[in-house]
Amino acid sequence: MKTLAVFSAVLSLLATASASSESKTNLPSTFKPPQVFKNANLVHVVSVEKNFVKENINVLIENIDKEAQNEYYLPFTGDLMSRVGGFEVKDRKDAALGPFTVEAAEFDPESANSSSQNSDIQYFRIRLPTPLKPGAQQTLGITYYVLKAYSPLPVSIAQDEQQYLTYSFSAYVPSVYTTSKQKTEVKFPSSVIPDYTKLPGSGDVKEFPQKQGSKLTYGPFDEKPAGAAEPVEVRFEFTKPINHVSELERDIEVSHWGGNVAFEERYTLYHRGANLSNLFNRVKWAQQQYYNPVSYALKELKFPLRVGSADAYFTDVIGNVSTSKFRSNKREALLEIKPRYPLFGGWKYPFTIGWNSDAKNFLRKVSGSSYVLNVPFLEGPKQAEGFEYENVVLRVVLPEGAENVKYLTTIPTSSITEAKVEIHKTFLDTIGRTTLVIKARNLVDDFRDRELIVSYDYSLMASLRKPVIIFTSVLAVFAAAWVIGGVEMKFSKN
Amino acid sequence: MDSSLHEVWQAASGSPFIPTIGKGSQFFLGFLLLVIGLALSGLFALNRSVVNVPVLGIPASLAVAFGVVYMFCGVGVYV
Repeated sequence: MKTLAVFSAVLSLLATASASSESKTNLPSTFKPPQVFKNANLVHVVSVEKNFVKENINVLIENIDKEAQNEYYLPFTGDLMSRVGGFEVKDRKDAALGPFTVEAAEFDPESANSSSQNSDIQYFRIRLPTPLKPGAQQTLGITYYVLKAYSPLPVSIAQDEQQYLTYSFSAYVPSVYTTSKQKTEVKFPSSVIPDYTKLPGSGDVKEFPQKQGSKLTYGPFDEKPAGAAEPVEVRFEFTKPINHVSELERDIEVSHWGGNVAFEERYTLYHRGANLSNLFNRVKWAQQQYYNPVSYALKELKFPLRVGSADAYFTDVIGNVSTSKFRSNKREALLEIKPRYPLFGGWKYPFTIGWNSDAKNFLRKVSGSSYVLNVPFLEGPKQAEGFEYENVVLRVVLPEGAENVKYLTTIPTSSITEAKVEIHKTFLDTIGRTTLVIKARNLVDDFRDRELIVSYDYSLMASLRKPVIIFTSVLAVFAAAWVIGGVEMKFSKN
Repeated sequence: MDSSLHEVWQAASGSPFIPTIGKGSQFFLGFLLLVIGLALSGLFALNRSVVNVPVLGIPASLAVAFGVVYMFCGVGVYV
């Protein structure tokens, strides 16, 4: 009994320790963004065309304070905050300014909960490159993606039925500032939108939204105070798979001896769509392929790899999967894989793919013993319906003895959760290979072409480590053979 | 994050990394070196003297050392 009490006390201590290490305390719990801006005009575009939501907020902001300001806040609920990714902000009128610095400015959740107000609101803080003068205006283009956004309705359907999804959001953009004028456009994959929330219109329009083909428009709305929200829900046809990768581990291994860069990607893939209402029927599925091939099941994945890729493989927990095609020539390198079974809603398929490429395609020598590597951050499948990644762990395994590792990536910095250099031990290693590990969250396949540049120093002595180790070991064997061979094993005659 | 790396990459465009031994000849070279290493070891086994430890042992060890590295690469385990 006593041991149990001690054990539970230790457990609770551990729990508090881990909770406190995870929470970020960037802002005090009583924090409220200062009312220094006004949204003069705002257009919110919600795109539900793919299996993630892409939101685009184009906003003309105006400084209504007496001093120059450079921090603009965008609020999200705690739940949404964990599913938002790929957050990028640009100046719509001056692309040369490049992406602005964006960071998640989070509360300490525990102290925020204890205070009654705004307990669940978190913020993204956008830093303007130059502070906005009083009365001045600037047009921001804010883009972000929402993952795990939809819920299917009906929740379960037959395998040849159409899939419908629902998505809830606010017709007014959640903002911590007063918004003078705004409208929200929702773009759908097709014009089949059976249900959507209707709102009373204003001005000439009797009722919102207005429907034009595959687009719904809520607004324009007149002035709304800070924090105003108008929840709406849309339900639309989406007879395509909802691909969700809960974890992607992507390894890139550089070999100077072999002149090779090896790629391996391990996916844990889920289909987040409607579940099957009946058991899967293989015969019906085979028939369906002929008379109605459009299905919400995932049948095939296409990976357009870099030109020059070779030796592709596709395996899963059972072993090699033979239903794959790899076409590599001067113009393309396309890997097409078919999972072992069509993937329906709620199903999971973990698999591994890999390939090689000549080092000259990705690696360049800078000077002396300094090298620079340029690889794509993501190289997942390119699907019409899109592809979303919740957790991405990218490991760049550099040669043994590489040092002075620096990196640069064009992935939004707010998506990167951790970057560190560690040691990875594998074949013929003695001290282990220098490995750059970058962890990112909530990415989508729109970021396929973003690059990762890594520079490192790799001296001749470090590169000779492997043969030198083998040389000394083998020479030691020769010496040992001579010594042991000289030991007198026979009985002496005298 | 080092923002200058993009320029570093662009500046090095004229010098792609070319390995000392290309992919096509790694297996052959690895095999050849291992055979030489094995043959020299065989010679040493026939006449194990203190002189032969450096005379045969050093070239044999060198051949085996590079042979092993290239044989690893030649069979697709790029070390």
